[in-house]
Amino acid sequence: MKRSFAIALALVMVVAVFAGCSKPAVDTPAEGKSDKYGGIFRMAVMADPPDLDPVHATDTSSSRVLYQLFEMLVDLDSEGEIVPNLAESWTISPDGLTYTFKLRQGVKFHATTENGTPTANGGRAVTAEDWVWTFNYITNPKTNSERAYFLDMIKGYQDYQEGKTDHLAGVRAIDDNTLEITLEYAFSPFIAVLAYNTFVVLPKEDVEKWGAEFNFHPVGTGPFKFEEWVQDDRVVLSKNENYWRTDADGNQLPYLDGIEFKVINDLTMEWTEFTLGNFESIEELDDPYYHEALSKYPDSFFERPQMGTYYYGMNVTLEPFKDNKKLRQALNYAIDRQGLIDLVRNGRATPAKGVLPPGMFGYNENLVGYEYNPEKAKQLLAEAGYPNGVKLTLQYNSSDAHKRIAEALQQQLKQIGIDMELKNVDWGAHLDSVERSEVPFFRMGWVVDYPDPDNFLYVLLHTDNFGPNGNYTRFSNPEFDRLTKEARVESDPEKRRKMYQEAEQIVVEEAPWLFIYHYTTHQLLQPYVKGYELPSFGAYSAKYYDVWLDN
Amino acid sequence: MSTYIIKRLLAALPVIAGVIAVVFILTTIVPGDPVRLMMGQRGDPATIERIKEDLGLNKPLWWQFLDFFRRALTLDLGKSYRNNMPVTRAIGQRIPLTAKIALSAMAIAVIMGVTLGIISAVRQYSILDYGSMFVALLGISAPTFWVGLLLVVLFCVKLGWIPGTGTGDGSWIYLVLPVITLGIRPAALIARLTRSSMLEIIRQDYIRTAWAKGLSERVVVMKHALKNAMIPVVTIIGIQTATMLSGAIVTERVFSLPGIGRLSVEALINRDFPVIRGEVLFLALIFVFTNLLVDLSYPLFDPRIKYDR
Repeated sequence: MKRSFAIALALVMVVAVFAGCSKPAVDTPAEGKSDKYGGIFRMAVMADPPDLDPVHATDTSSSRVLYQLFEMLVDLDSEGEIVPNLAESWTISPDGLTYTFKLRQGVKFHATTENGTPTANGGRAVTAEDWVWTFNYITNPKTNSERAYFLDMIKGYQDYQEGKTDHLAGVRAIDDNTLEITLEYAFSPFIAVLAYNTFVVLPKEDVEKWGAEFNFHPVGTGPFKFEEWVQDDRVVLSKNENYWRTDADGNQLPYLDGIEFKVINDLTMEWTEFTLGNFESIEELDDPYYHEALSKYPDSFFERPQMGTYYYGMNVTLEPFKDNKKLRQALNYAIDRQGLIDLVRNGRATPAKGVLPPGMFGYNENLVGYEYNPEKAKQLLAEAGYPNGVKLTLQYNSSDAHKRIAEALQQQLKQIGIDMELKNVDWGAHLDSVERSEVPFFRMGWVVDYPDPDNFLYVLLHTDNFGPNGNYTRFSNPEFDRLTKEARVESDPEKRRKMYQEAEQIVVEEAPWLFIYHYTTHQLLQPYVKGYELPSFGAYSAKYYDVWLDN
Repeated sequence: MSTYIIKRLLAALPVIAGVIAVVFILTTIVPGDPVRLMMGQRGDPATIERIKEDLGLNKPLWWQFLDFFRRALTLDLGKSYRNNMPVTRAIGQRIPLTAKIALSAMAIAVIMGVTLGIISAVRQYSILDYGSMFVALLGISAPTFWVGLLLVVLFCVKLGWIPGTGTGDGSWIYLVLPVITLGIRPAALIARLTRSSMLEIIRQDYIRTAWAKGLSERVVVMKHALKNAMIPVVTIIGIQTATMLSGAIVTERVFSLPGIGRLSVEALINRDFPVIRGEVLFLALIFVFTNLLVDLSYPLFDPRIKYDR
């Protein structure tokens, strides 16, 4: 009996482990008139996108996919400059209130989707009426679009939202190829707002056919069509054969047959699978593998500054920061930003002197910021009323990266007598308590929605925006408020630049933030991936219509 | 028997209602607002208010609680706040994968666990006994995520025999490592329990009688001893199966598998109340049914146990 059991046991183990030991085969056929055609671009992503309906998407996981399926009137190039997209050109009236867009001709909605099923729109051409319908749909209060409020400067927005009218007055079609948008008040960053990935054109027929289920059956005009979405596993896109864009030689884009976003929710596994050749790219290269990746993939690892800032907020209405500018400044003098970046981020960030990141309009090279000066920090701390040091609690949202940074700063602050305790909570609880003004000292970060200083200074620090709107520190300064409000309507770029620089200097002086660093964005690709450009807006906004595989 | 089943199912109703009530209370106590989280890092208060109104989140808790049950009776568990998917569909989509992994892992665990348990009991204090129990102790003590990562490093990275993550093309090869990872702990648990249960039985008088009658080792061990030793083992198998069916959170994470466990984690992080409540209801039903099945199986092992006549 003993022997038979032993044999059975051995069998179970052998079958479980040894059978079918093979790696999945990878084949990327090349065919067509250009040798750039063909292949599936497989990318490992950390999380399932919650929304493939652009009207409800608010996060980068969703945006990454949406940029391939849908298109806006204007787009950002890899340097963050606004470029024509579905609008070929536009004019702005001298009073800054009326925008007239000349639409690109020959743009069609996806004709098929999900394994060749015809779409409800049948692949028809996009007209100005489609844009009028889409803007009305997005701003309709019944749609509950999370990002509709980005358009609150459009004429008639408030009335429509409050149910006083049945349409958005400020958007109309002049003819099939001309769209006019009228604003309630001049708003200089308006064009930049239109590059946000909610403001895409939607096919009315498909949106009405699917209703709330449109999220699982998205149809747009982008270079790729929706094929399949297995929750928490993968999103599959296929080539749009009717895409309007061509390359310099007149070859139709995109080159790729499709894109597969695969959810691998562990950075170690993403890296491992990448080195095994199972992915063309991964969403994030974790710091521990940075040097290895640099040496293994020197020509296909891209990294550049991103328009975002990592900071610790100090709520100026709560003790001990209330009415204590010197304490807030002391903290800013007490940290060695470059040392921190080198120690925990492999040097992959830029020290933050102020709020605005380099590369952003209005960035001030000559900003008078804080240098690492422990002596001055100690002195300010004493003047702030804490000659023997002070105890603070930093609340951050749970993550290894935030923890590493907090621990390094904890050591630095200890040098000048600040005892910083760390408390981590999950993101939901963190956001909730910070917005309710219950947390004096908290971690936060901000990456722009649209590349304009308005999206930093006005949104995060203006008195109008306390709480969920973005001003978590409840910073309030009349001069700052005036400057950032006036800059919103100022049309002269040079004047705007000056206003923002002046406003930023006020924030730096008042120090409601512990300015830490500006983010970088990166993307790791296999060496055979060609034509890729890393956008300064963030790797998640990369477009793949002219990416091809050289293998 | 049918009266017994009906009685048990009726008795389960207040249990399920109680569990859901606790979840309702907990989800409202825990800080973090689902609508606020839907908005991303920044949100417009007017839109937040309107969405809350539409979702019925401004209604009193007791109303939401009763509404949940009223809808649940028609199999409507609401829609996910996160992506608008009906909760029944969100859970339903994930059952096949979770069930496949859980049941395979359990099958391996039962075969290995019972086998090792019997061998150790019959050959008590032998090298086999010490060896098996040492392995079982390791199996119980080793954290699942660590076992999973070790297997990945060995079979996927070093040897390159088996893919490490995801479900790939749906081939069974992708499930080998998760099933082993998930099966180790219950296998160890079952082995230890079978051994101790068997040891108790083989010291009984009727086993000595069986030996004295000259029965073969096979008959004595398998028929007389094992059958009687199985009741505690079956109970633990039931509980373990139910636990696994309700989602192997750690294993699913290590291997990036889209199962029930991942859905729970995402729902909790996003305060996706309808999904959390739906999952808890599902979990409660799984436990009620597996426990009922376990109880109903007792007469197979001990004819003295009878449910009504």
